[in-house]
Amino acid sequence: MLPTTRYDARRRVRGTLAFAVLLAAFALLIIYLFPTIAESSADIDAFIESLPESFREGFGAETYTTIEGFVAAELYQTVWVLLLGLYMAYAGGGILANDIESGRLYLVLATPISRKRVAFEKFLALGLPIVVLNVTMPLVVFGGSVAIDYPLDPYYLLVVHVLSIPYLLVCSGIGMALSAVLDRGDAAQRTAIALVFLCFLLDSVTLGTDVEWLGAISPTRYLDPTEILLHETIDLVDPLLLLIVAIVLVLWSLVYFQRRDL
Amino acid sequence: MAVIEVQGLTKAYGDTVANDHLDFAIEAGEIFGYLGPNGAGKSTTIRQLMGFQAPTEGTARIFGHDVRDDRELRQAKARIGFLPGEPAFTPSVTGREFLDYQAELKGDTRRDELLDLFTPPLDRQIREYSTGNKQMLAIVQAFMHDPDLLIMDEPTSGLDPLKQEAFHGFLREERDRGKTVFFSSHILGEVRRVCDRVGIIRDGRLITVERVEELLARGGKQVGLHTETPLTESDLDLEGVVGFESEGREARFTFTGDYNDLFAALADHRIVDVEIDEPPIEEVFMHFYGGED
Repeated sequence: MLPTTRYDARRRVRGTLAFAVLLAAFALLIIYLFPTIAESSADIDAFIESLPESFREGFGAETYTTIEGFVAAELYQTVWVLLLGLYMAYAGGGILANDIESGRLYLVLATPISRKRVAFEKFLALGLPIVVLNVTMPLVVFGGSVAIDYPLDPYYLLVVHVLSIPYLLVCSGIGMALSAVLDRGDAAQRTAIALVFLCFLLDSVTLGTDVEWLGAISPTRYLDPTEILLHETIDLVDPLLLLIVAIVLVLWSLVYFQRRDL
Repeated sequence: MAVIEVQGLTKAYGDTVANDHLDFAIEAGEIFGYLGPNGAGKSTTIRQLMGFQAPTEGTARIFGHDVRDDRELRQAKARIGFLPGEPAFTPSVTGREFLDYQAELKGDTRRDELLDLFTPPLDRQIREYSTGNKQMLAIVQAFMHDPDLLIMDEPTSGLDPLKQEAFHGFLREERDRGKTVFFSSHILGEVRRVCDRVGIIRDGRLITVERVEELLARGGKQVGLHTETPLTESDLDLEGVVGFESEGREARFTFTGDYNDLFAALADHRIVDVEIDEPPIEEVFMHFYGGED
């Protein structure tokens, strides 16, 4: 079953674990800082209120006096949405182009397996970091919040993670599409990172301006951890939209990759 | 039925025509050498046969399956062993992990037997492999599912002479078991030793396809002359004199024409010594590759 997925996923185990440990350490550090900020006499929320809207919204900063608002802004809007989004775009950018460039793909495609199948199985292998990080992170974050005696609602924490999966799939899909088109692995990976980062910027800087609609092309606009964690509102339309985009990106990549010259 | 039938196969990249209306067929049970200098278009043909690149015109059939149709070609691929030029692997896997993966993709009936002959260090990561070890690993994967047809791009490059010899012996045994082999090479000795037929490609065009013995015979003889007075090229203004070189009273050239004409032309000269030899195979190919003149 899925030999290429297993073969590729095994190459991702080490990187994924390293990333999980780093993210966990960062999450714990952020959570550890929270009581000091919550109990500080300075009016941090007034300071946040004074920041430009695009900055506030871009980083989801609304209030730092509740653990939900703090974790949403400091951890989820930045590290999770931006950093992990970039990581998945980078990983996606490598799945085909690196193997095309090195010539490794020839030995795989010489077997009676279709190109589409190989490419799809390689995409599935990106599920390893997505699944592992979405399992370890909520456990670490919830554990940390309990340890400092400001427990987060585990239900909404879990929802943030489940609903971020379509977003991460879109980032991976952007990488994969570039990987199917370009011949050079590093070009595909760098372009994927640049694109996702530009989208994030576009989303942030256009918020509250006349051209706010421009940011609508950014996948980051369709994922709002602050909304879920702090306001406890769950919107299923946006994640569904992201999921559709991810599917379209992957299907397009498969079709293009099937037809191109190698 | 031919195992490989190449019909008007053409591949152009913009203005560059890498393969120009190639036509040839490879019969079951033969070793076919595909020869040409670097950049002649050998790898382009192989990539099209394997479905990595689509022909711009014409096509090829393998076991009757059209290479332009992915579904059809995949049926043929189950019976093909493939060895790319400069095979590449994921550096962080061991040889054994790679072969296990390949086994899942296409089957594995004779890995152990092959590993007696070709001996890459299976438990080491491929990043530590020498070129020769990579080549051996690639050879093992090409044969491990006991394919009926082998398509190989420069199969002996990187192998030490002993392993090359072992590989040639192995190829002949495989042929005797009924396997068909198509390989590209620019190593001429290899062709003479193992091929039944050769196709010669240059600048994307197929120049000739013939049996190796005929090719060697057609390549003419190497003639060496020692005359009393120096010979010039104009003294031998004959059909079939190729590559005339002289140094003092010694002259050498390749001769493909009629001996009677040669001796008639030499009748005016006093000959001290004459040598007529099999040409080195390189000369045979120079005959085809040699400049436009």
